[in-house]
Amino acid sequence: MFESFPEICRNYGVPADIRSLLLLQKALNKDLIHTTGDIYNFFKVSLVKDPTHIGPYTQAFYDYFIGVDIAQGERLSDAILRAQTFRDWLDDFFQGNDEHRNIDMEDLINQFLDEVHMTSFDIRRVIDGEEILAEDDPDLKDDPGRGDDENIERLQEKAADYRMVDLEELRRRMEKVMEQQMRRHHGGAHWVGTGGISPYGHGGAALGGIRVGGSGGGKMAREVMGNPQFYPVDIDAHISDDNVDATLASLKGVIEETNDRYLDIPITVKEGVAQGGLFLPIELDKTEDRLQVILMIDNGGYSMDYYIRPIQALFKKMKTRFQHDLETYYFHNTIYKYVYEDERRTRRVPVERVLSKDPNYRVFIIGDAAMAPYELHEGSIITWGRFSEKFKKIAWLNPVSEKHWHITWTTTMLRRIFSMYPMTPRGLENAVLDMNKKKNKLA
Amino acid sequence: MADTTQWEGSDKYLCDKDLAQAFHIARVLGMPLLIEGEPGTGKTELPLQYARDLNLDLFVYPVGSKSTVEQFVARFDHVKYLRDSQIEVLNAQREEKGLESKLSTGGRSTDRLSDYVQMGPAAKAYSTPNSVLLIDEIDKAPREFPNDLLYALSHRKFIMPESGEIIETTELDMPAIVITSNREQELPTAFKGRCVYHYIAFPSPEIMRDIVRKHYPKTDDNIVSEAISIFYQLRQLGLERAPSTRELLNWLKYMQSFSKKETIERIKKLDGLGALIKNHDDVRRVQRNLKEDLSRPGGATRY
Repeated sequence: MFESFPEICRNYGVPADIRSLLLLQKALNKDLIHTTGDIYNFFKVSLVKDPTHIGPYTQAFYDYFIGVDIAQGERLSDAILRAQTFRDWLDDFFQGNDEHRNIDMEDLINQFLDEVHMTSFDIRRVIDGEEILAEDDPDLKDDPGRGDDENIERLQEKAADYRMVDLEELRRRMEKVMEQQMRRHHGGAHWVGTGGISPYGHGGAALGGIRVGGSGGGKMAREVMGNPQFYPVDIDAHISDDNVDATLASLKGVIEETNDRYLDIPITVKEGVAQGGLFLPIELDKTEDRLQVILMIDNGGYSMDYYIRPIQALFKKMKTRFQHDLETYYFHNTIYKYVYEDERRTRRVPVERVLSKDPNYRVFIIGDAAMAPYELHEGSIITWGRFSEKFKKIAWLNPVSEKHWHITWTTTMLRRIFSMYPMTPRGLENAVLDMNKKKNKLA
Repeated sequence: MADTTQWEGSDKYLCDKDLAQAFHIARVLGMPLLIEGEPGTGKTELPLQYARDLNLDLFVYPVGSKSTVEQFVARFDHVKYLRDSQIEVLNAQREEKGLESKLSTGGRSTDRLSDYVQMGPAAKAYSTPNSVLLIDEIDKAPREFPNDLLYALSHRKFIMPESGEIIETTELDMPAIVITSNREQELPTAFKGRCVYHYIAFPSPEIMRDIVRKHYPKTDDNIVSEAISIFYQLRQLGLERAPSTRELLNWLKYMQSFSKKETIERIKKLDGLGALIKNHDDVRRVQRNLKEDLSRPGGATRY
């Protein structure tokens, strides 16, 4: 059943394999699944393992099960309006119910979404009468002229029919849907509105126009579409406010290791006791999260303005989450004899002072490396050379797209001195990985 | 047999419909439920309230940076074992010398290795049918910890150290396992694969109102609206650490001691901001941005 669904999921970037189908089988046997809403929720909790997969998964689900193809960034209701499924569903819905034609399109979409996301839990609430009680206006409760009781009973009966669908029947229907899925390219047959899991095909109409389950699931699906929280961060995109957290994750690999060893007393005692009182010292490698970072930011010129804020936000977050030294210096295009402590570049710091720091500092230089050739004169190149000589763990992060680097002469020159990485989460991750390969120097 | 009817929250705890269904699926399939979400969205509350509501045995394992599977499952008390075996030697010597009195091992015998096994919350939960096991904040654990749990999670059994005793449970008696994470570190894929996953999105203002009502049913509606309105404005400022549900509830708790009129005044003046904002830079930012806004008539948007 649904053999091709995992593949569709993978196409949308959600990892899925055969195991998800085996689990579905188990869930079916355990009587967990009765409606499309159940299927949506089931795969949502079993396939999706990260909030950023909820968006792509929802797209995959709508594509495969509902026949609604949601384009990237499109609103759910627009996608539904385009879909053949919705038009079929409307035809069913209008059939013999002319008064329905006055309903607002937005309401119709809501109704459609409610049907798609109706879960067996919602249906049970109808059967238990909770839903109806909740909708009941308390002021009208004692009005004898209403005669709604009959309606409610009918609704409960119909809803009960959903639950009565037995497993064999459900399977038969699902298989039929699967066949339809295979023929989809030719026929365009989908299960909502044309049979499928609902015993009536058009549950909303069958339930006498009374809405089941509110608009919980449908509302959720709408919120998912287009909310960046539920989509993966493009790790090749520039570091911005949106993906600072992803970048932070890639920076976390910065862990210091030392050659020091230390006597692990608890393990020594434990092992000694286990050996009946023979204590052999047990030594372990000392690793610690000690991390010293120097940040050098080119904040001169308009080209860099856009990037400075997210970069600072990133390293400031680092500082609040990890205990370590972080020093920030500023420069304009390139350095000669001084760098600056403040953003406005008024407080000068001699380059020598930075160069006299512990060589185990990790140095991130952030700049576009593009300037007039005369600015990067020999003196400046020598200073940069001393930096790369002194600090082994040094990386240049360049916000300019990698494919333009070779055009600028100064960029090419600086790349001879430093390893240069694009200023993206992936670039930063690579920079950190390369840094970790380099051993510490003794101070 | 384990209770597998769907649980939808209690009078004190508002369980989101999707979360209720995820929890239900997890229990029916006998898989652990992994809940992720921002701090203060009620992740830990679910198992606590569930156990309280249905009167089930609850076992909690709070994870820390030094957590090991030993603490979680069971450990063998080597020190006690060594002490007891020394005592046995001593007792034999005393007997040789004709001394009557014996040193006690507290009823333990070095022949029975299981006397020295100290069960952790996992082993206890697995030997109590239909109990609840909470593994809180697993993202704080050392990297290997989740991987070490994989065997137990997929085979539903633990092997006790040294004694070799096996603690096993069936799919029907399986405890309801809830694991929470604040996403401070990514969990291994294989581990996530064995869990049913639910991400708690931050509640909308309407739901937040319901949550507040559950906790403070007597508080005046205007106070609640005012507080919630300011709360969501604070969240939009892009603070280092945005206030969460827990902070809002604490703030309202503080407000309980004043009269209605005074409370609204105090809320508008952001009195007791320390309950909401826990970072110095953030406090300054709030004062810069929000105080001016709120002092203007009609400045605050209503939710």
